Amino acid sequence: MQYALEGSQALARTVALCRPQVIAAYPITPQTHIVENLSKLVADGLLDCELVSVESEFSAASVVLGAVAAGARAYTASSSQGILLMCEVLYNISGLRLPMVMTCANRAVSGPLSIWNDQQDSMAVRDAGWVQLYCATNQEAVDTTIQAYLIAEQTELPVMVCVDGFTLTHTLEVLDIPDQQQVDRFLPPFNFDRRLDPTSPISIGTLVAPDFFTESRGDHHRALTNAQQAIVAAAAAWEDVCGRRQNPLLCVSDMGDARIGILTLGSIAGTLAAARDHFQSVPATRLMALRAFRPFPAEAIRHACEGLTDLVVLERALSPGSGGIVGTEVRAALSELQTAPRVHNFSVGLGGRDVPMDIYPRIHEAVRAGSGIPFDIIDLEPDKLPAAI
Amino acid sequence: MGLKLTRGAFAHPATSLRYRTGSWRMERPVHRHRPAPCHAVCPAGEDAQAWLALVAEERYREAWETIVAVNPLPAVTGRVCHHPCEQICNRGNFDEPIAIHHIERWLGDQAITTGWAYPAVAPAHGAKTVAVVGAGPAGCSAAWQLTRRGYRVDLFEALPVAGGLLRSALPPYRLPRSVLDGELERLLASGIAFRPGQRLGRDFSLDELGSEYAAVFLGPGTQRSRDWDIDGATPQDLHVGLDLLKRWLDVGFVPDWTSAAIIGGGNTAIDLARVLRHAGVETVHVVTHQSLPHPGVEQTDTMPAIAREIEQAMEEGVVFHEHRGVQRLVLRGERVVGLELVHRKELREVNEAVRHVSFEGTESLLHVDQVIPAIGQTVDPAGLESLLERRDFLTATEQGRLSGAPGLYAGGDACGNHGSVSAAIGDGRRAALTIERDLQRIADPDHGEPPAITPAELNMNYFEPQPRQHAPVLPVAERSGEAEIISGLAQQQVAREAHRCLSCGNCLACDNCWTLCPDVAVLKTRHPVEDGSHYVFDYDFCKGCGLCARECPTSYIVMETEP
Amino acid sequence: MGDSSDQLSHRGLRLSQPRFSGLESGHRACQGCGEALGARLVTEAAGPDVAYANATGCLEVFTTAWPDSAWRVPWIHSLFENAPAVAAGMEAALKARGKTTRVISMGGDGSTFDIGFQALSGMLERGHNVLHVCFDNEAYMNTGIQRSSSTPHAASTTTSPSGKVRMGKRHLKKDIVSIVAAHHIPYAATSSVAYPSDIRKKVRRALAIDGPTFLHIHTPCPLGWGHDGALSIEVARLAVQTGLFPIIELERGRLAGSMPIRTVRPVTDYLQLQTRFRHLFADDARAREELEHLQALADHNIEVYNLRGTQPDSRDSEGADTVRRGGMRWA
Repeated sequence: MQYALEGSQALARTVALCRPQVIAAYPITPQTHIVENLSKLVADGLLDCELVSVESEFSAASVVLGAVAAGARAYTASSSQGILLMCEVLYNISGLRLPMVMTCANRAVSGPLSIWNDQQDSMAVRDAGWVQLYCATNQEAVDTTIQAYLIAEQTELPVMVCVDGFTLTHTLEVLDIPDQQQVDRFLPPFNFDRRLDPTSPISIGTLVAPDFFTESRGDHHRALTNAQQAIVAAAAAWEDVCGRRQNPLLCVSDMGDARIGILTLGSIAGTLAAARDHFQSVPATRLMALRAFRPFPAEAIRHACEGLTDLVVLERALSPGSGGIVGTEVRAALSELQTAPRVHNFSVGLGGRDVPMDIYPRIHEAVRAGSGIPFDIIDLEPDKLPAAI
Repeated sequence: MGLKLTRGAFAHPATSLRYRTGSWRMERPVHRHRPAPCHAVCPAGEDAQAWLALVAEERYREAWETIVAVNPLPAVTGRVCHHPCEQICNRGNFDEPIAIHHIERWLGDQAITTGWAYPAVAPAHGAKTVAVVGAGPAGCSAAWQLTRRGYRVDLFEALPVAGGLLRSALPPYRLPRSVLDGELERLLASGIAFRPGQRLGRDFSLDELGSEYAAVFLGPGTQRSRDWDIDGATPQDLHVGLDLLKRWLDVGFVPDWTSAAIIGGGNTAIDLARVLRHAGVETVHVVTHQSLPHPGVEQTDTMPAIAREIEQAMEEGVVFHEHRGVQRLVLRGERVVGLELVHRKELREVNEAVRHVSFEGTESLLHVDQVIPAIGQTVDPAGLESLLERRDFLTATEQGRLSGAPGLYAGGDACGNHGSVSAAIGDGRRAALTIERDLQRIADPDHGEPPAITPAELNMNYFEPQPRQHAPVLPVAERSGEAEIISGLAQQQVAREAHRCLSCGNCLACDNCWTLCPDVAVLKTRHPVEDGSHYVFDYDFCKGCGLCARECPTSYIVMETEP
Repeated sequence: MGDSSDQLSHRGLRLSQPRFSGLESGHRACQGCGEALGARLVTEAAGPDVAYANATGCLEVFTTAWPDSAWRVPWIHSLFENAPAVAAGMEAALKARGKTTRVISMGGDGSTFDIGFQALSGMLERGHNVLHVCFDNEAYMNTGIQRSSSTPHAASTTTSPSGKVRMGKRHLKKDIVSIVAAHHIPYAATSSVAYPSDIRKKVRRALAIDGPTFLHIHTPCPLGWGHDGALSIEVARLAVQTGLFPIIELERGRLAGSMPIRTVRPVTDYLQLQTRFRHLFADDARAREELEHLQALADHNIEVYNLRGTQPDSRDSEGADTVRRGGMRWA
C-alpha cells in the first residue's frame, strides 16, 4: 500500500511489520525519527513489543544482544558517534553469532562535529563481522529491512542496513509499505536454537584459547562470505512477494557497451542516474550501486565490470592516510582480472556536502585527464585549506 | 581427538566436570575423629560426646546403650561421680560446660523407670568362665564387660547384697537405695551368676579360684581403716570414719555428741560430716592438712573430696579447717575433750618426696566431744596375704594385670586409686578387656589415644551462647532426711542441654563444609558414611584450600599432606 | 581434555544433592576463592528458572574455558561494561515471550562500580525486573590486582602500591549501595560470603520483588588480598565484625535493616591478616595515621548504619551463622 512518508517513518513502520519483540531506542541525529516513530507506534498500541529507552548506544546494542540471546527478535538504530560507541558490542554480537537487524543512518563522525550525511560511520565498523547492505532509495530501505531479518535469522549473523542520514531518512516521498500478511508470509517467527533456556542451559561467550580461536574466526568469515547466497535468495523471495525488482548484491544500470563505469553506494546512485539522463553529451557510462558491502561481492563486481576500461569508485568516506575504502577493495577485486579497468577512486560529499548533478561531468573530466592519481577527494576546494605545515 | 567448535563457541552445561582440579592439591581434607576432652578424661572411659549426640537426636535408648557399653551404672555415676568431664568440657571456654553428669543420671533413671534391659548376649558355646571377687563398682563393671563379650561370670560378694561401698558408704541423699537397687538388679539379671555371702579367705581361697576358673578379677575394695593415733594415744571410744558411716547407713544411730571433729579430706570425711550434721550434731569440724578447692590451688594440695560435696557441706554448716593437723589429743581420762591443732602442710621436694611439716608457734585448741579419723582405707588382707605381702594395696598394671600373678587381675580402690567410683568402673572394664585378650592370646594394642580436641581447634564462631540448664538443689533447711539433695533435670532440659554440646571431634552435620566449599567438592550423603559424618570429599575436584577444615566447628576435618 | 563425567567417582551422589546446583566443580578459580563461593551460593538460592548475564572478570574466565563450562544455568558473557544492559535485554525478551524465567546480572566490583556503572544505572532507572549481583573483591583481580573505585582506602594494589611516598590507595571506597539506593529501587542490600544463610535469604527476597534489585556481596580474594585460601571466611567475617563492611538492606533508598555487630572488633584484627595492608603496620607515623583513619571509617559506618547490637540476636554477626545439629534435612 502506498503512503507519503518520511524515510524514517517508513522504516519505523517496516520494522514494526517484522514483529520485533524488543527494541532498544537511543536518540542520535539523524536516526532519532526512526525510534521516535517506533515509540509512537508502541504508545498507540500498534506495535506490541518491549521498547527499552536505554541510556547510551553501548547499552542499546547490549540490550538487543541480550534480547536475541534470550530468543527474541530485536531491533535498534544508530548513527555516527553511536555506531562507534557500540563498536565493541558489534564485534561481540557477530562473534557470538546472534541474528538481528540494525539501521545505520549514515552520518559523519566527529571530530570535528558534523551531523550530516557521509558513510564514515558504517565504514569504520566494516570489520565487525556484520552483513552490511547499503540502500540507494527509501523504497530499497523498506524492502531491504524486511529481507535483512530473513538473512540474519538464516545465517545467524547480524545485519546492518545503511541508509543515508537526512538525504533518505528525512525525505518525504511516496513509498510502498507492504501489508502485515505479506511480511508474515515471508518472515517466519524467530526460533533461535541457542537461546538461553533453563530447560537446555548453555553458556554463551566463553574464553577460547589459541588452539580454537582461528577456527572461530574462520567459521565466522566463512559464514559471512557464504551469506551472499542468503542475500540473493532473500531478494528473490521478496521480489516474489512484493513484485518489485530487487538487486541483491549490486544494481547495474545496464551492461551495454559503455567503457566507463561508476560504482557508488547509497543515495548518490540516484543523483548519478538523474545526471546521466541530463548530461547527454557525456560518454556512455555504466552505473553501479553497490548494495552488499559485507560480504564483499568480488565476483559480482568483476562480472559487472566486464568490458570496462575505467571504473570510477565514488564513496562518501575515506581512510585518512590511505585513501578510499571501497575503492581499495574494488581495486583489489579487479586486479584478479586479466585486463582490469583502471580504477579512479574518489571521495565525495563528506560531512553532508551536497553532491550536485554536475559531479557527473566532473567525474568524466577526471577520467579523461587520466592522471593516474589513485585517490582524490573530488569536491575538495583547495582555497579553503589552511596553509600546509 | 575430534573436538569441533560450536557456533559462537558456546559451551554445554557442567562440562567443567571433565577437568579434575583435584590435581592442584598440596594437601587434602580428611575426616579425623579425635576424642573430645570429656572422653579423654573420663576415668571410666566413656565417650560422652558420642552419647550426647544421640540424646540430641532424641535417641535416648541408644544413648543409654552407648553408656552401658562402657559404664553399666549411669544412674549411680550420674549422681556420685566428680565429673572431670565437665571441668574440661570445651564449652566451658565459650559459656558454661555441658551438664554431662545430669544427663547421664537422667538416662540411667529412664532405663530404670522404663525397664530397659542390659543388652547382653548369651554365652558363646564352650565359653570360658571367669571369677570376679567383690560386687562393688570395679567388680560389677568387670563382670558386665565379660558377660557382654560372651563369657560366663561368677560374681562373688562377701555381703548379702551387691554394691560394695555404693551401698554401705554413700548416704541416700547422694544415692537413693531405689536407684542403686534399680540398676544393680537389672545388671545382675543380664546373665551374671551372683554368689552373695561368699567371703574370700573364709569361704574360698584364691588358689581354688585359680584352678577352677579361666581367670580371676579381684575388686575387694579397701575394707580396712587405717590405724590412727596421735603420739600413740587414741580415745577410748574411737570410732573410725568409714565404719561409723557404714553403721549409720546400715542401722542408723543417734549420736549424743554436741560437737565432733573429723580428720581427713576425702569423700568419706565429708559424707560423715554431713551425716552427723543431719543427725543433729551441733558443731561438726573437718580438719585436713590439705587445701579447700580454690581456683589456682595445685591439684596435689587439694582435698580429694568432690568440690560440690564440700560446697554443700559448708552450706549445711560444717566448719572446715584447711592446712591443719592434729598435734595432740586433749583427754580427760580416756575421753576426748579437745584437739590441739597446728598449721600443717604437705611439702613436696624436688625429688617428689613428700614431707608433712607442722609449723611451730601456730597451735590452737578445738573443743570437741568426739574425734573421728577418716584418713583412708587399705585392703583387708584376708585371703590376699600372698599378693599383698604386707603392703596397703594391690599392684596392678594399667591393663589390670597383677604383677607376678598370671591369671589374676585387679582394679578399683584395692589398687590404690583415689576412691573414685568411675575410676573403679574403668579399671574393671579395662581388666575385662585384658582378660579377653589374654585368653585369646592377642597382644595388647600398642597405639595410644590421639590427643583430645582443644578449645583453640574448634571454630566457636558458629555457636550461640546459651546458659546451662540447672537442676534444683534442696535448700539447706530441708536437708535432713533421705531425700536427694540434687534433683535431676527434666526431659526438656536434657534435650536443650544436649544441643549445647559442641560435638568436639565429631561431625554434627551442620552443613558448613558442604555449603562453604567454593569448588562444590563436598557432597552430602543421605545416610551417615562409615566415619559417622554425613559428607564425602570429592577428591577429583578438591583443591585443598582448607576452608572446610577451618570452618568446621568441631575440628572433625583436618588437612593432611597430599600423599 | 579429561575423560567423561560418567567416570566420576561420586557422579550419582553429585547429581542427587538436596539443593539446586548452578555452579559445578572443575572451574579454575584459585583455592579458597570468595567469588566462586559467592556465585555458587547465589545460583543455588536462585534456583533453575533463572538466566544469567555475567560481566568480564574472574568469574566468567574461570568458569568458561571453552569447551568447558561450570554452569548448569543458561548463561551469557558479553563484555566488561554491559552486563546490566544485556540483562535488561534478556528481561525484555523473556517478558515479550511470556516466560517466567528471571534474570540475574553478575559482575565484579570493576564492572559494577566503574566501567559498567552507566549500564547499571540505566537498568535500575528503567525499572527492569533484574537482580544485579556484585561480587566485590575490591580490585580488578582478573587482570592482576589493580585498583578499582571499590578498593578500600589505604589498600595496596599494583596501581595503588604502597611505597616511599604513598600509603596505598589514596581515595575512599565508593559507596555503591548509596548510589544504587538513590535510584529508589525497591530493594538493595549488602551481604558477605561469611554469612551464606544471609546471602540465600537476600537472593530470595530480591527475586520475590518485581523490579530492579541489587545485592552487593563481599568476596575475599586470597591472592589479591594476601591471605591463605583457608582464611577467606574468617577474613570476610572480620570485615563485617569491624564495621568496615556493613551488612544492610535498603528499600526505596531508605535503610530498612542491618545486621548488628554483637562484639565490635578493632579494624587491626581484620587488616593484619592481609598483606595488602601490611605497610600499615610499619613503624611509621603515616601508617599509624592510616590505621586510625580506617578505624574512623569503621566507626562511622557503625554509627551511620546503626550497627551496634545491644544484646545477643540470632540475626547478628555472631548469631546469623549459628550451626545446628543435622543441618538442612535431606530432602
